[in-house]
Amino acid sequence: MTRPRHHVIIGTGVAGNQATRTLRQREPDARISLLTLSALPFYNRYDLPRVFRGVHDWREFLVDPPSYYEDQRIELRRCTQVVNVDAQRKTLALEHNETLSYDTLLVASGGRAYLPEELSEYRDLLDGFTSFEQAMTMQRKLPAGGAVAILGGDMIGLDLARTLVDTGHRVMLVAGKHTFWPHVETPEQRQALLGVLQSMGIEIIDAEAQGGIASIQAGARGFAARRLVFGKGRECTADVVLPSFGLAPAVEFMIGSGVAIERGLLVSPSLRTTDDSILAAGDVCQIWSEADNRYRFFFGWKNVRAMGELAARNLTGDDEAFEPAQDETLHIHDGMTIHSPFWEYA
Amino acid sequence: MRSEDPRDVGWVRQNIPCQSACPAGTNVPAYIGAIAAGRHGEAYEINRAANVLPGVLGRICSRPCEDACRHGWPGNGEAVGICNLKRAAADLKHAGHRITEQLYAPTGKRIAIVGAGPAGVAAAHDLSVLGHDVTVLEREQHFGGMLRYGIPEFRLPRDILDIELHNALRLGVDLRCGQGVGHGPGEIPLARLLEQHDAVLLAAGCMAPLPLQLRQAGAGPGAAPACPDIEHGLPFLVALHRGQSKSVGRRVAVVGAGFTALDCARVATRLGAQQVTIHIRTAEEYIPVTKEEIFEAKREGVRIKGLRTPVGVVLDGQGRLTGVEFVQNRLGAWRPDGRRQALPIEGSEFVEACDTLLIAIGQKTVNDFIEPQVELDEWQNVRVGDAGMTSVRGLFACGDFVTGPSTVVEAIGRGRHAAQGLDAWLMGKPRRRRVVRIEPVQQPLRERSFDFIARQEMPTAPLHERLGKDRPEVEIGLDAQQAVQEARRCYLCNLHYQIDVDRCIYCRACIEVAPRNCIKLVQGVDILDDGSYGSLREAREWNQVGAIWIDNNECIRCGACFRACPVKCIAITRNEFVEVDTP
Repeated sequence: MTRPRHHVIIGTGVAGNQATRTLRQREPDARISLLTLSALPFYNRYDLPRVFRGVHDWREFLVDPPSYYEDQRIELRRCTQVVNVDAQRKTLALEHNETLSYDTLLVASGGRAYLPEELSEYRDLLDGFTSFEQAMTMQRKLPAGGAVAILGGDMIGLDLARTLVDTGHRVMLVAGKHTFWPHVETPEQRQALLGVLQSMGIEIIDAEAQGGIASIQAGARGFAARRLVFGKGRECTADVVLPSFGLAPAVEFMIGSGVAIERGLLVSPSLRTTDDSILAAGDVCQIWSEADNRYRFFFGWKNVRAMGELAARNLTGDDEAFEPAQDETLHIHDGMTIHSPFWEYA
Repeated sequence: MRSEDPRDVGWVRQNIPCQSACPAGTNVPAYIGAIAAGRHGEAYEINRAANVLPGVLGRICSRPCEDACRHGWPGNGEAVGICNLKRAAADLKHAGHRITEQLYAPTGKRIAIVGAGPAGVAAAHDLSVLGHDVTVLEREQHFGGMLRYGIPEFRLPRDILDIELHNALRLGVDLRCGQGVGHGPGEIPLARLLEQHDAVLLAAGCMAPLPLQLRQAGAGPGAAPACPDIEHGLPFLVALHRGQSKSVGRRVAVVGAGFTALDCARVATRLGAQQVTIHIRTAEEYIPVTKEEIFEAKREGVRIKGLRTPVGVVLDGQGRLTGVEFVQNRLGAWRPDGRRQALPIEGSEFVEACDTLLIAIGQKTVNDFIEPQVELDEWQNVRVGDAGMTSVRGLFACGDFVTGPSTVVEAIGRGRHAAQGLDAWLMGKPRRRRVVRIEPVQQPLRERSFDFIARQEMPTAPLHERLGKDRPEVEIGLDAQQAVQEARRCYLCNLHYQIDVDRCIYCRACIEVAPRNCIKLVQGVDILDDGSYGSLREAREWNQVGAIWIDNNECIRCGACFRACPVKCIAITRNEFVEVDTP
């Protein structure tokens, strides 16, 4: 009797979860292991701003009930960190000194919040918003009507800003070149977009005009928890400072595996890496784009889900190319409302 | 006990990966052990026995030891900060610390060394210790070579460099700066040096920039056009460090992927550039500089863009640079030299705007001053034999002058190696040889809890100070407490744990407590062609067991087995290379 194949998927984001679902449908007997750093099974990170609308129970965020994984015979391994991939031996080294073999590997480890290196010394004074735990920590820190300084912006941060304004918080956006990441806007569009954000109640601070961020300090006892000082002398205070500069692919554990990496894992249009047994999907991969004649990222929930599905199909016999599943353009409707495909995840 | 048994020699070579990876052969576990005990001066001397510039290398070494460190192997966490500890020993040693030298009696032999860079200085030191009369001729006005003229002060303060260079050459070495060798005005012909000395060692480095073929938009292919906004990186740094005034435009493009490229970019930020970008052919993962340097450059605002090869420049009507044309690459296979191939994609050219272009794609040697003619290799570098001698009797060569551009620690290692070969040739036999010293150790020197100490990160100067007027050294150095903590992380791979199978009662207590799969029941151990131990042949059944064996490849020297053994049949020894006089 032939041993069923062992598919290992790293990452339980949209791509990893969709791939798992498709793999199970196409190979009912396969062994599937789904590894995640997270303590929770797959949940919708785009939904996290709801913690400011009073949703604090982690179960409310789960896409599938915990029993789903058992029912589908998916070995979900939470709080599991992969530290190394040996592509020749087809093994993963896990942080707790376990070695896990695979027949095929799908890397869907996504991206982590990118913190510009010049701000790294303030890491301890900054909050994050990329996991349920971080979201709850920020929610607990932020008093009713409290102030949040969002550094950079990006469409994830701006989505949170919308919710924070709606829920009665003060939001200061320290705008820079990442403000509408991953969109690339023209200077004219940018002015109009910032105008719309202002009309929504978001205070805009132009980082470059203020001489950049000179320092971030802990606030004095009894005052706001954080103080931002700009290069030209302006200061502002906030209860929470949230860097929001887009995503950096989580590929550290792939270094040394032999798989080609630039910023993300470099993959063919069919999502294959330079190793036959390893595919990649989601925010972790740079896909060769014939149209652009270069490797590029495709962000957004629909694209990422499509990649997860395609990777699973290509792992199980197909050989199709990725086709973008969503429009990437940013629009202003009626001069009042911003429409971004990255906000359309409902 | 001293041993030349191939099993002992092989054990040290295989089991101390940091020392094996170090081109200078530094006894890393020994000096880290001294730091853990707070003996910084001793640690400095252990370093200095292999490399005469510990405080310098502690700042700018390319750290091959850390790439090899067992603590960085999969599942073991992060490599030990070996280089930072080297610097800590230099920084934290007593102010009145006395250096030691093992001086030999004078030989009366006269040796000239051409070049006072790291290879020349290392060779000059070792040859003067061996009793020879050494003269060093340096073309520049100050000694240090690439260390002084290629590396910016914010990475290598000149007071540190001066002290260690001086200490290396203080044993009677006659240093003549501003003295070129060749046929130019005021220069000494090499042939005359050969006549006047018993041997001559060429250590002239590798300082000529490699040209880059760039087309001008609208013109044919050729070398980069003459334009005041286009410079080669190394001459740019050399001019700056000679004290000349240099300036750059608002937007600076640097092409190249080595330390020189990174240094050019960081210098450009300090000269006021607003946007500095390093353009590389492959990707950040594959460039031969440390992650720490890349991180600090990025903190200072330098951006790195990958998968692109420069193919042309765009000039305006006044002949000033307005942009660089690149072609997009994809990654190819691995090259024989261990680098990754970059394959250009046809039709993918694009232009990036910039005002200054610094080209730092590598260097080559200049050897047109050599007369009589010597054999050259395929790269037009001087060819040498195993002992470092060229095809001309009595003329030796070493360092980057032989290998082409390498790292400082490689240059030092090659300088030392050449000194040994030269000394053996002059004296008719090698006077030093390497043996394994084996000393008993009474108890484990580590605790399991040390394995969970986080790597101590190097403190650095705040950004606003770095780019300000004084431009201080960026890395501040570990303090004494951090140094001890980091030193404790070291596995001390020079400790050899062995089970005495005649006394072992096979109770398996050691296997039960082992944190890794490091104690094995084996049928036997393979012996390699050189007589050293090879792979373990593990037993699958009890009746196959020939011995219980500690797999030193897996062992993290935690001492758990030693403490658990009820019959005390596990012995610990410290096994390390030492140099002794030949009879």
